[in-house]
Amino acid sequence: MADLRIRSVTELDIEAICKIDERITGKYRPEVWDDRVIYYIRRDPDSSQVAEVGGKVVGFMLGEVRGGEFGLEEPTGWVEFFGVDPQAREKGVGRSLIEALFTGFKARGAHVARTMVAKTDTDIDAFIRAMGFAPAAVTAFEKRL
Amino acid sequence: MPYAGGYPRHMSDEIRMLPRAYHEAVEHWQRHNFPEYPELSKRWQQYFPKDQEFCLCARIEKGMPTEIQVGDHVGQPKAIAPKELDKEAAEQLLAIIRAQASTEFGSIQQHHGTFDRANDPQDQTWVLRVMAEELRHGYQMIHLLTSADWSSVTDTKPQDMVEEILSMKTGSHVLAAFNLEYDSFGDSIVFAAFIDRVGKYQLTMQKVNAYAPMAASMPPMLREEAFHLAAGVIPMRRWMEAAARDRNATLDVPTIQKMVNKWFCRGLEMFGDERGGQTNVKLGLKDMPNKEAQDKYIAECEKMLDDINIRYVRAKLAHRSRDEADAAFERIRKGDTVDGIRKDDLLRLPDRRFFRRRGEPAFQMVGVNGEQFTDVEEYIAHCLAHLPEAYHASIDTKHWIEMQRKVAKGEIELKAAINSMPRLARVGGACPCSKSVRWVMDVPGGATGGGENLNP
Repeated sequence: MADLRIRSVTELDIEAICKIDERITGKYRPEVWDDRVIYYIRRDPDSSQVAEVGGKVVGFMLGEVRGGEFGLEEPTGWVEFFGVDPQAREKGVGRSLIEALFTGFKARGAHVARTMVAKTDTDIDAFIRAMGFAPAAVTAFEKRL
Repeated sequence: MPYAGGYPRHMSDEIRMLPRAYHEAVEHWQRHNFPEYPELSKRWQQYFPKDQEFCLCARIEKGMPTEIQVGDHVGQPKAIAPKELDKEAAEQLLAIIRAQASTEFGSIQQHHGTFDRANDPQDQTWVLRVMAEELRHGYQMIHLLTSADWSSVTDTKPQDMVEEILSMKTGSHVLAAFNLEYDSFGDSIVFAAFIDRVGKYQLTMQKVNAYAPMAASMPPMLREEAFHLAAGVIPMRRWMEAAARDRNATLDVPTIQKMVNKWFCRGLEMFGDERGGQTNVKLGLKDMPNKEAQDKYIAECEKMLDDINIRYVRAKLAHRSRDEADAAFERIRKGDTVDGIRKDDLLRLPDRRFFRRRGEPAFQMVGVNGEQFTDVEEYIAHCLAHLPEAYHASIDTKHWIEMQRKVAKGEIELKAAINSMPRLARVGGACPCSKSVRWVMDVPGGATGGGENLNP
């Protein structure tokens, strides 16, 4: 995409992220995205990225480098939330976003990126695999309470 | 820094502490001016779980460019000591660092004034973190002043420069925006959204600074500044949503609009005169002249208000789809009335020349919508009608009215009016507990303020 621009997320992107989420899920959840985006902004604003086309935000990817979780001591770049406006898909937006995150992760000392995908999210599963991820040697467990 | 259990990792920061005497001076200042500080560690895990604990220290970014990026000396090695800079550049840089330090400590004093009047614990805790990080930024500037030899451009000893900065109070700071007392806790929020945003621009412009320690100080400060902007914008969005849903909301749109009018014009003046700034670019200290940076700031503020206004329209038109609400917003913005919502119901920036006391449009009597006034009394009435009522009674407003009248009647030269500041507080006197830092001696009246002129 010719005029695609990837840059760090700011507090002024939240409404656009809400809009993308709403286009994907059909739900308007401003409070949810206020909390989520602020979490990343206050911890490491350069780590999470948005994609702009013509000055309009068409995709976002939130993540950061952490360590010591789940017994995984090595610094890990966690890819945690992302979305691309349905009208802007299949144009390399997601790939550009995740490559920008990888660059940031490496700069922060991470040599591995990790994420989790619900089995029902087949589109996301396909995207993540296409980005070079492979099933990890860890098992996700849960227990209903 | 402990690195465990989900803490974010900033490998690029190198932590430096001030020599003990200066560190203790900053802590002493904190006890008098920022007594809320100990509360931050008590609230940290509730409001910022797993965030890296706050550290009162200087942070130096590693891996920054080593060659000058803008100006006459592009490509030459950056200075690592002030004496390696041109004399003019070193003098200008020293003035910038002192002004920056003044803003950091000054904003804490402003926030402190209304801190206990917050009506929302989250908003209050966010401001508490902002205050602590401003303290760290002030510490960072003191680090720049005390970790190098500035004797090539000043006879003032480092300890005296530090004392001068720590002695400043609301009214005696370098920039006008930091000499206004807050009318309510709401000012803390609008200040964060508008004035901290100017701070972001200044820090961003200084990332290229030809003095390597200054440039390397900017990225860690910018990372913290990103949260400060959010600490302004997020509550403002919530206010507007509440105003849309509840006609008896504690803050209605006209009240918020008046706070916007109060702070936006002071923010514009922080960039320096619209006709200046080329010297700083030429010297390699910043990468944009004043007007260019100010234009970008205005565009960003417009975007900020658009986002806030969209929340208002969505809350008002909750029964409509996203696309319908977006279309309605566009129509309202162009002047149509949709479901009873008018353009005047939304927040907007005042004209960039409104209520200006510095820069190209200083005292030009331009109204919020760009209308030109010829009668000074009509203009004063217009401005007062568009500013917060509680602000009318301030010494700042009183001083502006006096200056505006004198300029209109030709009783004072424009330049003198621009440089004039209300003398809200005097520099000098003893520390309240008389134990540690000595405060610097008094200065002649009017010798403080007007620092917006330091962006030539």
